[in-house]
Amino acid sequence: MDFAYMKSLMPILGVGAVTTVELTILSVIFGTFIGLLLALMKISSNMIFSRAAGFYIYVMRGTPLLLQLFAIYYGGPSIGINLPPFVAAVLGMSANSAAYVAEIIRAGIQSIDRGQMEAARALGMTYGQAMRRIILPQAYRRLIPPMGNEFIALLKDSSLVSTIAMVELMRVAQQMYANSFKPIEVFTMAGIYYLMLTSIFTIIFGKMERRFSVYE
Amino acid sequence: MNEVSASSAGKAPAISIKNLHKSFGSLKVLEDINLTVFSGEVVVIIGPSGSGKSTLLRCIKNLERPERGAIFVEGRPLEARSKSFKALQQEIGMVFQHFNLFPHMTALENVMEGPVTVKKMQRKEAEGIAMDLLSRVGLAEKKDVYPSRLSGGQKQRVAIARALAMQPKVMLFDEPTSSLDPELVGEVLSVMKNLAREGMTMIVVTHEMGFAREVADRVVFMDGGRILEEDVPLNIFRAPRHERTKSFLEKIIV
Repeated sequence: MDFAYMKSLMPILGVGAVTTVELTILSVIFGTFIGLLLALMKISSNMIFSRAAGFYIYVMRGTPLLLQLFAIYYGGPSIGINLPPFVAAVLGMSANSAAYVAEIIRAGIQSIDRGQMEAARALGMTYGQAMRRIILPQAYRRLIPPMGNEFIALLKDSSLVSTIAMVELMRVAQQMYANSFKPIEVFTMAGIYYLMLTSIFTIIFGKMERRFSVYE
Repeated sequence: MNEVSASSAGKAPAISIKNLHKSFGSLKVLEDINLTVFSGEVVVIIGPSGSGKSTLLRCIKNLERPERGAIFVEGRPLEARSKSFKALQQEIGMVFQHFNLFPHMTALENVMEGPVTVKKMQRKEAEGIAMDLLSRVGLAEKKDVYPSRLSGGQKQRVAIARALAMQPKVMLFDEPTSSLDPELVGEVLSVMKNLAREGMTMIVVTHEMGFAREVADRVVFMDGGRILEEDVPLNIFRAPRHERTKSFLEKIIV
């Protein structure tokens, strides 16, 4: 192993790693908003909302992320939508992650005792007030561990966007390998970066979980 | 029946229930319920489990939708689509068997929640009201404690304070002591007795016959989704007219 070469890879792979983190964080943020909306639609008593959300989740979880990215990046132009790689990547990852997040949030909401909603309604709260003030604040504490898992899964899956011309950690590693033909050094170094990232976020989510569980 | 209406004469009905029917699927839970509760009156509903007592309370509080019949609050019909619905519902407070305190809020925050979120009251003002209520139920020193650190009896007293914070005119109690350890029942009942003494209109579903005897103005016996009889406690406990009431009381009072 060429350790000197590995050391020289650190800055350029670091730049790719930063892009990977940006992609993941943006996608999780958008994915969480869309996912929350989908979850509320799915548990709603309105059959149209509920079915629409159910169908979306069914499709997005039942097809590969890679296919979804291709559909957006390569399929988009044929219907007149040309997206730069970064936008296409965030869009694809958010849309995919939203489906998983929706199921996490739905399970979280439904794990809250039915009596909580009844007590809130008995005080005169509307459904929306009860959700915002009573149900979601309790649910989101339970959401932290599965959301942490989803975040880390998405961080690793973000390597797939290297296939749509997005220059992130995986793509940089492929380019360096093509230049140097030193696969062991390049991919070991890239792997170390991924491990560092997943470790950092595991620790962050662990801290959040402990902080938000004070009352239980 | 006659002496009941005589004792309540001159008082306005707080809650009137007319021809109420409710089924869960093919199971008839409430059949043709007619009941009037007068302002300031304490009505205790007794009966075997599955007799529809809790469902009746839940219909009054709109947690269940009756199929037929009408409920009036101070003479005004309680209809989900009417403009006055929200205001009328706020005149009814409810206490649950399993307390249903909000676990992510302290005792004080639980009591403040209704005034702040529903009535849009300033936090300072709501805090004053909540502190007074916590003192009334004897839990002022527990104000910053989360429900997980309270005993069952303390939880139920906070739940009563939380319902009172909305300044209801009628309080519904759905088996408020049924999930409590026996030694904690007394503290909850004594809070309820004080409330009755202060003139609160109360409908109480309970198995505490001592409470019914001592506090109730009227006892209603339900079985199989119907009201079989209602009378002053003395008559119900000493001389029940209905065979079913007699056998229920024999089983429950040792």
